[in-house]
Amino acid sequence: MEVNFRKIDIDQYDEDVLLESELYEPDPRDPAQVISDAKQKAATVRTSLAQGDIAGALSIVLEDAPYGPNVEEAKNLTLQTLVSILNSTKATEISGIVKSLSPDTQDTLMKYLYKGMAMPGWGDVSGSVLLGWHEKLTEAAGTGCIVRAMTDRRLV
Amino acid sequence: MSPPEVYSLAQTSITSHAFNADRSEVAVSLNTKDVTIFAREGHEWKATETLSEHDKIITSIDWAPNSNRIVTSSQDRNAYVWQLSPDPQTGRMIWKPTLVLLRINRAATHVRWSPNEDKFAVASGARAIAICSFDPEGDWWVSRLLKKPIRSTVLSVDWHPNNVLLAAGSADMKARVLSAYIKDVDKKPSPTVWGEKLPFNTICGEYTSPTGGWVHAVGFSPSGDALAFASHDSCITVVYPGGPAAFTIKLTSLPLLTLTWTTENSLVAAGHDCQPIVFSGSEGGWELTGSLDDPHSNKSSGGSRPGAPAAGRLNSAAFNTFRNADSRGISSGPGSAAAPATESELFTVHQNTITSVRLYAGVPGNVTQVSTSGADGKLVVWDVNQVTPASATGLAGKMAGLRI
Repeated sequence: MEVNFRKIDIDQYDEDVLLESELYEPDPRDPAQVISDAKQKAATVRTSLAQGDIAGALSIVLEDAPYGPNVEEAKNLTLQTLVSILNSTKATEISGIVKSLSPDTQDTLMKYLYKGMAMPGWGDVSGSVLLGWHEKLTEAAGTGCIVRAMTDRRLV
Repeated sequence: MSPPEVYSLAQTSITSHAFNADRSEVAVSLNTKDVTIFAREGHEWKATETLSEHDKIITSIDWAPNSNRIVTSSQDRNAYVWQLSPDPQTGRMIWKPTLVLLRINRAATHVRWSPNEDKFAVASGARAIAICSFDPEGDWWVSRLLKKPIRSTVLSVDWHPNNVLLAAGSADMKARVLSAYIKDVDKKPSPTVWGEKLPFNTICGEYTSPTGGWVHAVGFSPSGDALAFASHDSCITVVYPGGPAAFTIKLTSLPLLTLTWTTENSLVAAGHDCQPIVFSGSEGGWELTGSLDDPHSNKSSGGSRPGAPAAGRLNSAAFNTFRNADSRGISSGPGSAAAPATESELFTVHQNTITSVRLYAGVPGNVTQVSTSGADGKLVVWDVNQVTPASATGLAGKMAGLRI
């Protein structure tokens, strides 16, 4: 069956098309600023991890997480930093940590868990670790948190 | 304290329901192109009449309490106003339809009479809202379109008590307050917190859903000074334009689809989590108070649940069945002796998504009962003062902070 018609960009014929960029507020920061922020956070997180402050490290990396176009490098660095935190947490501590996070931070963490699961084998991403966090996070923040990770157009 | 009145009207989904003024009759859309009117007979509802004129599924129904007229909107892009009048041949009273020229090229999604019942608003997929008023000279309903700045399908509308302002929730992730002032119908409105000069299509407020969900439901508070909207990111937001302040509650459960205010400081909202949830608050802040449903007492089987931390769908037997199959390799297929039919039942009264919650008894500002209809074919009347606290139902909603 002919399916090529599905690839036609019909929006180009619509004068009043709704653009992706109209659906969310853009990040006010400059892309260069975003990457330097991400690098700085990666360093701060290493210090926090050395002191064993997992919840603190998570809050730092998840706050003002990069989103939107043109910041791929910062996104990948943030994911890498986050994965390093997730991998170095004891399974018994996860539940307490996710409960201590703010609702906004929980939502952002869920977005990264799904991003990680979509990139198996990338860097240190481990499916079983992500699923462990996902289970505990869903217990703490409910299905609402998953729904928000799906609806939010501010992709991390 | 009385348990909710539960009526099973159909085996199919109820898309929309609207009661008449004395609650002796209810008009429902059973996800078909016909409206079915049920009349109360003791503790039963009997289907008495079918209103057939639409070509496609009826999306919304509203029944004006004073003028006793029904308005329906449908995916066939039309709206009809139905009025009881004598049949010229038999003299029997029948519902006579009048077609409304909406001038939209997509489905009509939602319809509501204005408080004075001299206008109605039809939301549509054509990025527009049709404001319809009766033209006595032409003897028909004429519509004027609210278009700008709507960028996508409008999913719900609600009228301000002053008969002029209209709230609209839309799939472009925004809730808006617009003026639907019609010169021939409305007197000049007095200033409100939403603005002073209100010509047609004035935008009095525009609010984005917190994490990018379609706005499914909008509602003005009884005074009209606050606006609540529920969005598909499992959030509910209450806006005070006078403050200005907006309070968002992030739910741990599935998204809400419909809401109605019960007093100036409380509202009931419901949706995919199958139970009506109560929120209360004021200009100082809002919180989730509890549920009108009590998932622990409804079913006798409720006690046998292991653990039972949360209400709603995540905890259903169906979910557990799949989880057991997945994690332990236990299957309860048709061949095995286990799993009677009741095991997939939810512990809530509604067994599927609640599609509509509406005022049932009381007056705006002091509502005592609300009615809900759901995709499970049930119609339920709830006492709004019978709230099961949030801690007992496992529901939780966290204030995500104040946005100014």
